Amino acid sequence: MTLLDGLWLASALTALAAGLFGRSPSAGPWLTALYGVQFLLVAFMGPLAYGADPVPASPAFSVLGYGLSWQFTALSWFFAVITAGAALAAAWFMSGAWGRHYAEQGGDLRLLQLALALNPSTMYVLLASRDFLSLFVGWELVSWASFVLMLAAGGVGVRWALRYLVYAIGGAMAVMAAMVLSHALTGSFEFGALAAVVPDLSAGTLWSLVILLSGGFGVKMGLLPFHLWQAGAYAETPGPGSAFLGAISSRMGLYAMLLTLFGVLGLGTLKALSIPWTPLEAHELLAWIAAFTIVLPTFTALKQNDARWLLAWHGIGQGGYMLMGVAMGDALASAGGLMHVFNHATYQAALFMAVTAVVYRTGTADLNKLGGLVTRMPLTFLVLLVGIIGLAGLPPMNGFVSKWLIYRALIDDGQPLLFVAAVVGTLGTIVSVYKLLHNIFLGQLRVEHESVREVPGSMLAPMLALSLIVFVTGLAPGLVLDWLTTVQRELGLAVLAPTLGGVERPDGGLDMLWVVGILFAGFGVGALIFLAGGRARTVHQLDNYAGGHFLTAEVRYHYSDNFYAGLMHRIGPWYRGSFQWLQDSVVAATDLLAQAAAGVYRVVQPAAWLLGVTVLALWWVAA
Amino acid sequence: MNFVVLAVALPLLAGFLTPALGRSSRALAQWLGWGTLAVCIGVLWVAWARLDGGTVAIAIGGFRPPLGIVFYLDAVALLFGLAVPLMALLLWPREGTPQQFALTLVLTASATGLALSGDIFNLYVFYELTAAASFGLIAGRGTGAAQGAALRYLLLSAAGSVLLLAGITIVYLRTGTLNLAHLATLAPERLQDPVGLAAFALMLIGLGVKGELFPVNGWVPEVYGSVSGRLAGLLAGLVSKLAVLVVVRILVLIFPQPEAAQLMLVLGMLGIVAGELAAWRARDLRRQFAFSSIGQLGIVFVAFSVPGEAGIVAGLAVALHHLLVKPALFLLAERWGGSIEGLRGAGRGHWLASGLFILFALSLVGLPPLPGFWAKLLTVMGLMGLGTGLAWLGALTVMAATVVEAAYLFRTLSVLLAREAGYTSPGPHRGLDLVTASLAGLVLVGSVFALHPLGDGLKAMAAQAADVQGYIRTVLGDRAVARRGQREDRISEAHPASRGSDRPMGRADRAYGWPAGSPTRGARS
Amino acid sequence: MMALIVELVLMPAVAFVVGLAMLLMMRKIAAKIQRRVGPPFFQPLYDVVKFFGKQTQISHGLIHDVGIIVAVGGYIAAETLIPVPGMTGIADRTDVITLIYFLMVPSLGMALAAGQCANPNASIGISRALTAMLAYDIPFVIVIFGMSWMYGTTNLVQMVEYQQAHGWGLFQAPLLAFAGLFALQGMLGKQPFEIYVAPAEIATGPMVEMGGKYLGSLIVMQSFSLYTAGILYTTLFLGGGVTWIDFLVKAFLVVAIPMTIAFQFPRYRAEQMLGSLWKWPVLAGLLGLAVVMWS
Repeated sequence: MTLLDGLWLASALTALAAGLFGRSPSAGPWLTALYGVQFLLVAFMGPLAYGADPVPASPAFSVLGYGLSWQFTALSWFFAVITAGAALAAAWFMSGAWGRHYAEQGGDLRLLQLALALNPSTMYVLLASRDFLSLFVGWELVSWASFVLMLAAGGVGVRWALRYLVYAIGGAMAVMAAMVLSHALTGSFEFGALAAVVPDLSAGTLWSLVILLSGGFGVKMGLLPFHLWQAGAYAETPGPGSAFLGAISSRMGLYAMLLTLFGVLGLGTLKALSIPWTPLEAHELLAWIAAFTIVLPTFTALKQNDARWLLAWHGIGQGGYMLMGVAMGDALASAGGLMHVFNHATYQAALFMAVTAVVYRTGTADLNKLGGLVTRMPLTFLVLLVGIIGLAGLPPMNGFVSKWLIYRALIDDGQPLLFVAAVVGTLGTIVSVYKLLHNIFLGQLRVEHESVREVPGSMLAPMLALSLIVFVTGLAPGLVLDWLTTVQRELGLAVLAPTLGGVERPDGGLDMLWVVGILFAGFGVGALIFLAGGRARTVHQLDNYAGGHFLTAEVRYHYSDNFYAGLMHRIGPWYRGSFQWLQDSVVAATDLLAQAAAGVYRVVQPAAWLLGVTVLALWWVAA
Repeated sequence: MNFVVLAVALPLLAGFLTPALGRSSRALAQWLGWGTLAVCIGVLWVAWARLDGGTVAIAIGGFRPPLGIVFYLDAVALLFGLAVPLMALLLWPREGTPQQFALTLVLTASATGLALSGDIFNLYVFYELTAAASFGLIAGRGTGAAQGAALRYLLLSAAGSVLLLAGITIVYLRTGTLNLAHLATLAPERLQDPVGLAAFALMLIGLGVKGELFPVNGWVPEVYGSVSGRLAGLLAGLVSKLAVLVVVRILVLIFPQPEAAQLMLVLGMLGIVAGELAAWRARDLRRQFAFSSIGQLGIVFVAFSVPGEAGIVAGLAVALHHLLVKPALFLLAERWGGSIEGLRGAGRGHWLASGLFILFALSLVGLPPLPGFWAKLLTVMGLMGLGTGLAWLGALTVMAATVVEAAYLFRTLSVLLAREAGYTSPGPHRGLDLVTASLAGLVLVGSVFALHPLGDGLKAMAAQAADVQGYIRTVLGDRAVARRGQREDRISEAHPASRGSDRPMGRADRAYGWPAGSPTRGARS
Repeated sequence: MMALIVELVLMPAVAFVVGLAMLLMMRKIAAKIQRRVGPPFFQPLYDVVKFFGKQTQISHGLIHDVGIIVAVGGYIAAETLIPVPGMTGIADRTDVITLIYFLMVPSLGMALAAGQCANPNASIGISRALTAMLAYDIPFVIVIFGMSWMYGTTNLVQMVEYQQAHGWGLFQAPLLAFAGLFALQGMLGKQPFEIYVAPAEIATGPMVEMGGKYLGSLIVMQSFSLYTAGILYTTLFLGGGVTWIDFLVKAFLVVAIPMTIAFQFPRYRAEQMLGSLWKWPVLAGLLGLAVVMWS
């Protein structure tokens, strides 16, 4: 029995236990322990990230003469460790008070626990796949597992889950087409067989493969124009579920893309594949799609008034950075893109949990119905603060490092427009996440939230742990970058030579140890200067300048709605909802077709059809 | 092996006895029916065991073919033959009248005949008998809707029979024989022209009425929507497949021209589109299943249109999968009939039924490793292996249909499992329905663990079914094979193009990894 | 190591002194334009000392304090990332991209402090300040990209070396220099881009609840920001400095230009600000970029 077998077994056991005992809130800690075992098993496979031999799985099947086998490599491990961590954190978060609360509110805790447990289990299967058939099997399993998790909420969530399903199945069919096409070319489902014939393939065939694979897997990533399902589906999932989904679920698309587009076709092939009549190559096309995926969803996030939706839209945008980094493909960019997977998982999970904590205490995620909670939930505030600094990509958090790597590479590659798109995404994120922080935690505390308290330890612990990771990997990004060198080597990409603090290069490197050190030294000096001033007296929030008015608790004195009024005056008309329109048009067209199809079965004289088709067939025969 | 005839004769006999018997005792009539079906199963099982993978032709009454009536037994024929009494037993109209028992038995007899028969005239007779029996069964429920549906069915069915007969007439005029094996030897010479193709088109459309071929399936939603779940299951699951089986036999043995397969492919594609889209819009659960069944049969037609073994493997897989799943779904719909919106929350509390529904829906949509996935994969592989534009379009249609299918099946499921209360249940599912559906579910899940042997079995079966020479040899002996060989050579010298799809077939075979020169290679090379 | 520590201490110290002088210069320029006498030489220092020494110090909570500390501390730290004559601090260990994101940390601190004040005027001010950031940073990053591409490095020390060997960036990429100057106007929050302060409308916006050492800290922060903007532009376009004298002359000149322009202008509304900053400097920047990249 290999470690991978053990991991599969442990995750299956977790799912079984969740299905049997998940209904009882007191099972939470035990389930968390099982997730801990999964995490430990993944951790034991750690040597993979430092170049150890792949860990195979013992089961291997043969169907219709095709073999299916599985093994973990450095790439699998990198995604698996994030998956295991996110699952552990999510399970921990719901193991105590939250789970009890959820069950009391009428939620189906067993279903939620089971759905959550199914997700990592199926992901471990996907992450171990080493041929098209096992990849597709894993892919479908993962798609359906997240569907179940989205369904867990019921209500509005169901509508979004169904929309997701349509997109997911569409994507899966594209993948299937690519897989069958590869089979038609090689007579086998092995990656190696396709890789061997790649040099002989025509540009048309290669383009078909690239489009089918990136489109199919891109659906899961929420790449434009297939992004419309994601925000709703993730946001409406119950809190810990959305933390897990937001952290890692859509990254499975990136994993599969890495495995097939980069691992099998190879970056060189993508670079050699040019688009007729343009200076672009296939990998640049991907980078451009990524650029649009960064900018448009980020600015959609800016318009959200629900904290969960805001985060979910940002999740789509951040996925763009990962693809952009990987698509550019040089040592810096691909390390940045891959590291962003890790970084995003850490802060996004923390952010969703912080928002869920707020919902747990106040019952709402509506950004216009909150405010001033920092005095009541200071630790949750801290988590959210760390999270948004990471999400916005500012020092000293880890999100900055991955984005820096991407920016630096774009300068190296001479891609000014992509660079501007990446930065515009970051600026939009800063603007948007400040609104998130401000509207929940800053400003005036509402009367009905006077008695709100900090959330209990079972919820705080995973959030704080994640925040700590966000900070530590920002301080010493080399910890993660070291793993990525092995991944880069596996994918045949240029390999980065990281230091503990980042990257050392004479023409502009990064040493986060110094950056963070200096920053905190500066804060220290700032604190000394601040303390040198007179002693301050803290006043009540209503003791405030109001232009001569007398403030009372009845008067709402908190600026939250339409937070960026001036900005919206300018860019508001630019939101055209074109993609929504596109989606609606497709649905409407299908509906029209369906009406026609249903009409066929409403004719009064079906025999007339028979006669008609006979005449037609005979005419065709004669022709 | 002549005892196999009993599988057709016994239910026919019992069918004529039952009404008389039923006048004195309904229970006795029922037991007679069950007993007869059990015997049929036994007979066919023994035949299956004795055949042991081989083929055999039975001349009824001792007249040697091509003069006498012939039964042809191979694995495919016996498999479907075995499925007939088995499903008739499982979907027995328990609450029906003795007349319905009788009709079910007649249906069994004629359907078994369809599976086993080796000449076209017999096929026609059995086909008519099937139509008559199912017409009686549909109308038998007595409601206005059912009678309207039955009338519609009768009208279409009759028109279809006329077309079928016209097609058969052309074939007979051209060749002077109706024995399939004999036809197979003569076809390369006498039916490789537009007239032959016209005969195929007429037969395809005629048989298509029962095979739910687009657009002659106008009866399907009305009938399945108004009859009991058991009968709908029997018709959608079994009878439609037997019609398809007959089409496939004719296609493989007599009409190797690529145009014939193309016609089937195009009509199948249209059926997929029409069926799945109509199902997407359907607001009534049974009608939804009916439309879905049209779409599934479209996939069956599309799959069988791929020449060579690849197509037969895929077609058999899709057909068998549907045969298993759709009747079970109709059984589940028995208690969940009517408007879908009215079923809000109906599935809550009925976890076995809901679970089975989820399982079948997942398999239909094709979640690996459930069998539905492999069937779909085989179909798409077969089509894309052909490499022609039309085949690509076919593959695309199948995949797009999957998306639509997922959309409506799971929308329906989400309604069934919605949290809101307010649904007044007409009572839980009947135990027997649930047991039958569970059985189907068990087989479905069980087959996941036997994918490897099942795949091999299907391949062997398909190889046998695609082996035209083998068919001729079994029925007529070795000399006939040599004769057909000579004729084919002459034909190919005269019209090299009419030999059909050498190139795409070669690709399809390669795609399956079978050695190019293997003796089981496709029928039409 | 010891030398480095000395540099790390000296660089912010110099920045503080020079920044206060720049503040004085700004007020003098305003006075000259408005035909007033203007404040005495040590007025900025007096202000700081006075604010810090006041007896009434009003805090609106912990984050109010922490935000102010982050705002001042962030700038103190940022000063060590830009090379000055004779001192490189940690400029060699980071680069210009790090610097521009680093500079957002003090802004975030101020935004936190203002938000905690629980006054809508402050929140409106912050929302406008962030809008302004979105406005001026887009042309600014185009400039950063162009200059980094031209110099073939993002390391500020190397940029200075390059210019001292090959001539100033101003002459090699005048369009980018213009775009940078335009963006600088927004970055310093001077008219016409000072909507986020707008004293008559939102009561000085983020500063509305600030008094005592809080306001004093903001003055310190402003002096740092003036200094940072001046020397950053000097480093990017004017060849840095060989000696402190020419370095400071350039820096003061750079800061004087926006000041002079500022007091000629009224205040733009937010959408007007976005319109102008997304039009002229972006156009010039892109054009300059094209020239730099394809010549």
